[in-house]
Amino acid sequence: MTAYVLRRLAYMAITLFAMITLMFFMFRLLPGDPTATVISPALDEGAREAMRRRFGLDQPLLTQYLAYLRNLTVLDFGLSFRTSAPAWEMIELRLVNTLLLILPSMIAAYAIGAFGGALIAWHRGGKAEASVVLFATAMQSAPLFWLSMLAILVFSILLGWFPTGHIVTPGRFPGPSWRMYLTADFLHHLALPFLVNTLYQLCFPLLLMRSTMLSTIGEDYVELARMKGLTERRVLYGHAMRNSLLPLATTLPMILGWAVAGSVVIETVFSWPGLGLLMIEAISGSDYPVVQGAFLLIAVLTILGTFVADLLYGLLDPRITYR
Amino acid sequence: MAILDIEGLDLRYRTDRGPAEALSEVSLRVERGEAIGIVGESGCGKSTLLKAVMGVMPPNAAITAGAIRFEGRDLVAAGPEAWRRIRWKGVAMIAQSALNALNPVKRVDAQIAEAITTHESRTRAEVEARTRELLALVGVDPGRARDYPHQFSGGMRQRVLIAMALALRPPLLLADEPTTALDVIVQDQIFRRIGALRGELGFAMVLVTHDLALVIENCDRIAVMYGGLVVEEGPVAAIATASCHPYTLGLYNALSRLGQRRQPVSIPGRPPDPLAPPAGCRFAPRCPFAIERCHRERPVMQALSARHAARCLRAAEMNDLRPAAALPETWEGPQP
Repeated sequence: MTAYVLRRLAYMAITLFAMITLMFFMFRLLPGDPTATVISPALDEGAREAMRRRFGLDQPLLTQYLAYLRNLTVLDFGLSFRTSAPAWEMIELRLVNTLLLILPSMIAAYAIGAFGGALIAWHRGGKAEASVVLFATAMQSAPLFWLSMLAILVFSILLGWFPTGHIVTPGRFPGPSWRMYLTADFLHHLALPFLVNTLYQLCFPLLLMRSTMLSTIGEDYVELARMKGLTERRVLYGHAMRNSLLPLATTLPMILGWAVAGSVVIETVFSWPGLGLLMIEAISGSDYPVVQGAFLLIAVLTILGTFVADLLYGLLDPRITYR
Repeated sequence: MAILDIEGLDLRYRTDRGPAEALSEVSLRVERGEAIGIVGESGCGKSTLLKAVMGVMPPNAAITAGAIRFEGRDLVAAGPEAWRRIRWKGVAMIAQSALNALNPVKRVDAQIAEAITTHESRTRAEVEARTRELLALVGVDPGRARDYPHQFSGGMRQRVLIAMALALRPPLLLADEPTTALDVIVQDQIFRRIGALRGELGFAMVLVTHDLALVIENCDRIAVMYGGLVVEEGPVAAIATASCHPYTLGLYNALSRLGQRRQPVSIPGRPPDPLAPPAGCRFAPRCPFAIERCHRERPVMQALSARHAARCLRAAEMNDLRPAAALPETWEGPQP
C-alpha cells in the first residue's frame, strides 16, 4: 500500500511535469503576438520593445522555459499581460468564487443523484421511475448554456425571482472583500447558477446509479439480506446501494473535468466572476500567464482527483489490493 | 402442530405474455425435526416455493390463494412486517449459490452479526462470541471471522452460509440446492455437517434439489414437484420402492447407480409451459402410460396409504405398470 502510494506520487510528478512543459510550448506556438493586444501596433517600435523586454519575451525560448520553471516552484506564474497584476493573485481570487459555486453544486448533484437513482431503481416499474428517467435523459442531452439561458429567461426575467447574473449586486463591493460572501445578496445571486448546474450535473450519477442498482437488486446477496429479515431500509442502504456506489466512485476523475467545463459555461452565461470566466477572458486576450496558471491548476486538480478516486475505490471494495 | 403447513398455495408471475402459474394447489406439511426433500426438474417451482415460504418473491409474483402457516400462524395473512420478523428467527435458509450469496464488500462476521442484531438485542461482545461459536460449529476457523468472502473457498463460503442460517437457532431450515456449485467431496462434507448439526440441534429441514439420490440419503420424506404441482409425496422408502407416479419412476430411472450396468434413462420432452399448461394431467404429454382420459382430466392427489399420495389417474394400476417403467424402451415411445 505504501509502496503503491509512493509510486503513484512519482507518476503524478512526472505527469505534472509533462503537462507544465507541454503547456509552455503550446502557448508559444500559438499564433498572435500578446504585445499586440496590450499596445497598439500603431505605437512606436521602442515602446513595444520595452514591453517585450519587461515580460522577458525577447529571450530565447529555452531561457524563457527555464525561468518559467524556476518561477513555478514559488507559485509565480508571472504578470498578467493585460493588468500587470500577478497572475496567481488573479487566479486565487477567482478560484474562491468558482469553488463556492461549483463544489457545493457538484456535491449536491452527486448526493441527490446517488440517492435518487437508488430510490427509483428500488421502486422500479412505476410511473415515477419512467418520468424521472425521461426528465434526466432530456436534461442531460440539453446543452448547459441553453439551459442556463432558459433559466435566466424564466426565473429572472419573466418571474423576477433571481438576479440575471453577477456574484453580488454590481457596485456594492467595489474592492475584493470576503465580507461579500456573508451577505444574503451573494446567496441570492448564487441560487440560480447553483440550481441549474446541480440539476444538469445530477443526471449522470442518477442514471448510472439507477442502472447499477437494477443489476445489484437481482444479486443473491441482496435476496439473502432480505431473507435474514433485515428491514427494507437496511437492505436498500446497507446492501444494494452500498454496493452500487462502486461504479459511481470510478467516475470521480471525470466529474472534475465536467465541473471545469460546467464552470466555464455557467460562469460565462451568469457573468459569475470565477475561474471559468477568467479563462475565457484571458484566452480571448492572449493573456498567457493567466491562461497557463489556470490550466495548470485544472491539471493539478484532475491528477489529484484521479489519485483520490483510485484510493477511494480500494476503500469501498475490499477485493481491490494495491500492489 | 406442524412447524410448517402449506395449504393449497397458488402463486403467479405477471409476465409480458400473461400470467404464469408457478405454483398451484401446493400443500405440504413439515413436522418438527423432520427432513423433507423436494425434487423436480429446473422450473418445476421448487425454488419458488422456498422463496414463497421466506416471503421474498420477486415483485411480479403474487400469492393468489392458499396459506403458509408457520407454527399455526398464516404468514400470508399476517402481512409483510410480521413475516419479516419470522424470517431467519423461525425459518432460515441456506442459499443456493455460495459464491454470490455473501456480500463481497462486507466482512463475514458483520454479515452473520446483522442477522442476529436484526432480531435480538444483544451486546457487541455477545454477538461476537456467538459469531465465533457459529463458525467453529460449521468447521471454519473463528480467527477468520474478520475476512472478506473472496478470501474463502467455495466450500468454506457454503459453511459460512450454514453458520449464518443457524445464527438464531431456527426450528426450520430451508436449503435450496446448497451444494450445486461445489464438487462431490465438498458436497459430501457439507451434508455430513448438516446431518450432524440436525442431530445436535434438532431443526426440521426442507431440502430442495434436482438430485434424487441426495434426498434419499438425507431425508425422511420426499415431495416430487412437476410443473408447479406436487405430484407425489411420501416416505423415502415408499417412494424409492413403490412410487405411484410415472414422473417419479422416470426420475428414478435417470439416476446412475454404482455397480449396475444399466445406463441412466432420461425422460424425453420438456416441462410444461407455465403460461399455457396442458388441460389435463401436466405430465401427460411426456408420459408413456398416458391414456386418453389423462389429456382431459386434471388428476387430484390420491391417498395410497396413510402418508403416501400421488397425483395420477392411474396410480392404483401402478403396481402393474412399474416393471415396464424401468425399461428404457418404454421411454423411447412416440413423443409429441
